[in-house]
Amino acid sequence: MEELKQKLKEQIIEALNLQDTKPADIDDNAPLFGDGLGLDSIDSLELMVLLERQYGIKVEDPREGRKILQSVQSMAEFIQSKQQPA
Amino acid sequence: MKVKCYIQGMAAISPQQTFDGDISTAPFVHSESNRLVCVEPDYKPYIPANSLRRMTRVLRMGLATALKCLSVSGVSTPGPIVTGTGKGSLQDTEKFIKEIEQYKETALNPTPFIQSTYNSVNGLIALQQNGTDYNNTFVHRGFSFENALVDSMMLLQEGASHTLTGSFEEMTPEHYYIKSRIGQWREAPVGNTHLFDANLPGTISGEGSAFFVLAAAPTQESKAAVTGIKLLYKPASERLSAVLQELGADADLVISGANGDSNYAHYYQLLNTVLPKPTIPFKHLCGEYDTAGSFALWLAASLLHAGNIPAEWFPMVKELPADFKKVVIYNHFFGEQHTVMVVEKV
Repeated sequence: MEELKQKLKEQIIEALNLQDTKPADIDDNAPLFGDGLGLDSIDSLELMVLLERQYGIKVEDPREGRKILQSVQSMAEFIQSKQQPA
Repeated sequence: MKVKCYIQGMAAISPQQTFDGDISTAPFVHSESNRLVCVEPDYKPYIPANSLRRMTRVLRMGLATALKCLSVSGVSTPGPIVTGTGKGSLQDTEKFIKEIEQYKETALNPTPFIQSTYNSVNGLIALQQNGTDYNNTFVHRGFSFENALVDSMMLLQEGASHTLTGSFEEMTPEHYYIKSRIGQWREAPVGNTHLFDANLPGTISGEGSAFFVLAAAPTQESKAAVTGIKLLYKPASERLSAVLQELGADADLVISGANGDSNYAHYYQLLNTVLPKPTIPFKHLCGEYDTAGSFALWLAASLLHAGNIPAEWFPMVKELPADFKKVVIYNHFFGEQHTVMVVEKV
C-alpha cells in the first residue's frame, strides 16, 4: 500500500505538472481539492484519465469519483480494491 | 476602412527582446537557425502558479502579453477582447492528436483539447481579469490579426471605450517539419542576419504575440493611430498597386513584409515601384507566421512613439529616415492574404 501511494503521488505530480511539489509534500489523507493541494474540476478529469491509463480502471459514476478522489489514501484504497482478485 | 483608432498601450513577445526591452536600446537578437524562437519572459509575475502549470507555451505568451498590455495602458478590466491567431496552440493540438492515436480514442486527457481551441487565450484573459464583455477570436490564416483589428475598430465606432486587441502564434518542431515539406522554409540555414542576402525560395519561420489597447479618441497617452487598413485576397497587381497608392502615397516610411522568399518577391518589387520611399523590412526580426502583421503594427507604433529607428535592428538598410510621421505597412501571407495598414504619429 505504501509503495502504491508513493507511486500515485509521483504520477499525480507528473500528470498535473505540479511544479515545486514533491511526493513528500502530499499528505496521504489531505484533501486533493480545496484546502489541500488546491486542485480544480479540470484536475479531477485528469485524475480520472490517470486512473484509466495507469491502472486500467474506468470510473463510470461521477458520484463515486468524488469519493475516490478525496485523497491519495482514498485513491490508493480504490485502486487496490479493483486490483484484488474477486 | 477609414475609421481611426488610437493605440493606448501595447506589448509584444517576439524573437527579439520586445517584452522587457526598449526598442531604442534593446540589441538585435541574431539567430543562425531558420526557425526563430521567441525570447520568453518570466511568467510568474503575470500568471498565478496554479494556472501556469497547466498552460502550454503560446497560452503563456498570449496571456502574459495581454496582461502586460493592459498594465502599461492603465486598464485593469478589459472591455471587448478581440484576437487573431492562425493556428492557436499547436502544442496542445499535437498532444491531443497524438493521444487519440496512442490511447485508441479512449482515456483522453481533456486539457490539451480545451487548450487547443483557438479562443483559449481570450478565455484565460477574461477569467483572470474578470472580463465579461464581447470576446472573439478570428482564425483566418494571414488575415487573422487584421480581422481582429477591423472588428475592434468597428466596436470602437459603435461606442466601446476601448478594446484589447491582439494575436498569438507559435511554431513547433513538428509543424516546422510539415511546412518544410511544402517548401515554405529555406533549405540551407540562413538565419535572420542574412535573410535578404540571396534571392532563393523559402523563408524563415517565426512566432510571437502582440497586444494593443485601442481607443476611439486620442489622449496624451496615445502611442500612435491606426488610420487605414485594407485586406485583399489574392489581388491582381493592378488592384494591389491601386490600394498601395491610395493608402501609402503620402507615407514617410514603408514597413515591408518582405521575407526573402523568391516565390513571392514580385509583390515586394511592386511595392518598391509603387511606393519608392524609405523602406524597412521586419521579417528578419520576427520570422514568417500567420499573424506577423501584429508585430509589424507593434513595430510601427513603437518607432513612431520613439521617434527614431534603431540602426542595429536594420543592418540591411543603408539610410534610415530621421523624421517620419506616417507609416504604411504592406504584408502578405504566402501570396494569399495581402494587408495594407496605415499608422500615424499622434
